[in-house]
Amino acid sequence: MRVGLRLEGTSCRTVVLDGLTVVSAGQEVHAGSLPEALESSLSGLRREFGSGITEITVDVGRVLGERKLADVVAIRISPRPPADAFHMTVLPPLVEPAVTRTVHVAGGHDLRGRPLAPLDLEGFLADLPGILSRDVRNVAVTSVGSTASSDHETRIADAILGNDRDIRISISSDFYSSVFRDRDYTAILNSALMQTGEDLAVMLEAAGRRQFPAALLSFAKNDGGRAPLSRLALAPVHGLRAEPAMGILGAATLAGIPEGEVILCTEAGAMVGHIHGGLPVARSLIRQGFDASLASNAAILEPYTAHHPVRADFPSVIADLRDSKDVALPFGLVPTLSAAQDAALVGSAAAPLTAWIDRLETVSGRVDLKRVQNLAEDDAHSAAVQLGATPGQTDIIESNVYAMPYGNPGIVRIRVQAAGETFADEEHVLPTAARGATQ
Amino acid sequence: MSTVLNTEDVRNLRTGAHFLTCTIDPTAIYIYAEMIQRAMEGRSLELITVDELAPDDLVVAVGMVTQGLFIADMPPVGDEFLGCIRAIEASLGRSVRAIYSLAAANINGIVPLMVGLQSSLPVIDADPMGRVFPLISQTTLNIGNVAIGPIALMGVTGERAVVEVESAQRAETLVRAIVTELGGWAATAMYPCSAQQLMEHGVHGSISRMIRIGQILNASTTVERKLLLLAEFLDSTRIARARVSHIESLSRPTDLGLPAQPSSVTLEDETTGRIVRLEIQNEILLVLVDGAVTAAVPDMVTLLNSEQGTVVNIDDVQVGDVMDIVKITAAAQWYTEAGLDLTDPKAFGIPILHPRRRHA
Repeated sequence: MRVGLRLEGTSCRTVVLDGLTVVSAGQEVHAGSLPEALESSLSGLRREFGSGITEITVDVGRVLGERKLADVVAIRISPRPPADAFHMTVLPPLVEPAVTRTVHVAGGHDLRGRPLAPLDLEGFLADLPGILSRDVRNVAVTSVGSTASSDHETRIADAILGNDRDIRISISSDFYSSVFRDRDYTAILNSALMQTGEDLAVMLEAAGRRQFPAALLSFAKNDGGRAPLSRLALAPVHGLRAEPAMGILGAATLAGIPEGEVILCTEAGAMVGHIHGGLPVARSLIRQGFDASLASNAAILEPYTAHHPVRADFPSVIADLRDSKDVALPFGLVPTLSAAQDAALVGSAAAPLTAWIDRLETVSGRVDLKRVQNLAEDDAHSAAVQLGATPGQTDIIESNVYAMPYGNPGIVRIRVQAAGETFADEEHVLPTAARGATQ
Repeated sequence: MSTVLNTEDVRNLRTGAHFLTCTIDPTAIYIYAEMIQRAMEGRSLELITVDELAPDDLVVAVGMVTQGLFIADMPPVGDEFLGCIRAIEASLGRSVRAIYSLAAANINGIVPLMVGLQSSLPVIDADPMGRVFPLISQTTLNIGNVAIGPIALMGVTGERAVVEVESAQRAETLVRAIVTELGGWAATAMYPCSAQQLMEHGVHGSISRMIRIGQILNASTTVERKLLLLAEFLDSTRIARARVSHIESLSRPTDLGLPAQPSSVTLEDETTGRIVRLEIQNEILLVLVDGAVTAAVPDMVTLLNSEQGTVVNIDDVQVGDVMDIVKITAAAQWYTEAGLDLTDPKAFGIPILHPRRRHA
């Protein structure tokens, strides 16, 4: 049996799935503190289900969103610093106050991975004691061209760790975006959340060990998948806004459709997403209007409008997630799921392990393109297995190649998603046959 | 007649520049618009028509030339365009009186506003493309035999080059090689010419057109109303409202001299059942409906979200998306023999005659 668990404030809410069946729906525990609520919630599940619980996936998105961001030093690597205030990188208002200092280091690469300027490591090392003197614990490093070469970012990170092993460092090449400010924002936000991610991971690990020592603990990601709890301390940013993805996955799971359209109706309105290969269709960026985007693969959930095309040949599920159902749904929508209140928790319980490969490759033609795409698929498969998935139960969900507008001839972006289950999951939540379809 | 632009104009220009870009990722436009709006606080920005200048006043096109790292991945330091204008002035021994856009779409549609604010030079409501093309030789000034050089280039590294060249085709080769080595993009100043030459051979009203497009698209109204207003203003037509069924990269062989790889998108018009195919290389070059050419470069083709009426980014297109495919007629100069020679599908390696040639 698998548990979907959501943390918020000082409360926990759980759903238990046995294969496709919800065996315990929406149990909520409030306590004086979050650890107490967690302990109480898990001990209750242990009493009810004993060792039958094999996996627990925790949606920590709300906690990550409500905690104060830690202070971060932003290190930006580029050939030259901005010449005036107008050309400074602007961060979204939420994150901007967390940056206590910005440091410029000369360096950076072009799209071919060639240095644009030598890395000024010597100058940086000379300044490093001063940079680290003010009780700095979190650092974000972003370099021009780090999608093509992470060398300058990793050398700066190594230099910092050589000075202080306990500094939390987030480097932008861990997140794919072809936009500097997106990677900079994502690395800064990730760094600012690492302490919280670490605290949550420790708390969940300890509680899990006490109540379910044999169960695998994961956190829910915003792509509709999950990752081992240990990753929460390193990449908490992927745990932000996981709820919409889990809502899509949960509704699709309850409806038993691995391919189709999912319409989620809440008090805020109707939203539409898609499920493909048993996972929500995701985009590599969370866009935020004209501000920097978050470089995290996240499920696409967009407003449903009066012009929404209705396809008779396309499976569709409509989930009414509203607390009060006195008023009819907008646009004449009629719910197709009778009890969908805990769809997001069902999604958490059902989420497979997912891994992404998103990188640039230089190709000489179609044959070469096929070769690098196959290689990326192998790497994505391996990455999912490294997270704990069983090789025989791991499939490629998405495998795409993107032309680079106005880029160097021959350079393409390859984006692949793999998803898999662990040995513990003898029964897949959504049909295995559906997975493995590439688009 | 000169106009003082305000931040609302910049907001609309941002949308218009994106619409005419035929759906390239607009992040760099957003970044520039934000910079310009901040820089406008306490400073005024003058948009003039070319006839407000003396006929022999020196004017120069400013714009980004890219081949490699995205502008948004290597943000400009801020001194690049001023360095280019100074280099042109030093090369010609004359002061530049006004600037104009190298292209009236995408980032180059908005860059001159920042340069105008920085340099205090007026921005001319004209450009030499009336849209955006990938090559610097694809200009109406080139059709009019206006010299492209000298060309000044400056990259984010601070390195600068002045290319003294006469042939626009040769300039293409030289500039692209330098741009690659500068890191992927360069700020450039080129086509220095007299106001009279720009008046005779340029495309006029291009900045104000982008602002008007933005006003239409940013208005709180229905998609159908927006399409109607665009049709009235631009003489645009909606080719189809169709759902994406297939996306393919590297779908055609390409000349390595052209930036970017070709890709194709296949859609199905769910009302009529017609199959629509888009051939893309930086911009949408060709639209086939049931195999028949319905739009071909130099026609502009752009995509709008069928539900919100917002411009679709090619990067975001997914199988299953429904969108409106809109065709806009380009500037008249592009449909002359010389214009079609420079920009019709054959210039992009697609062995198809533009319909206007076939009907000529």
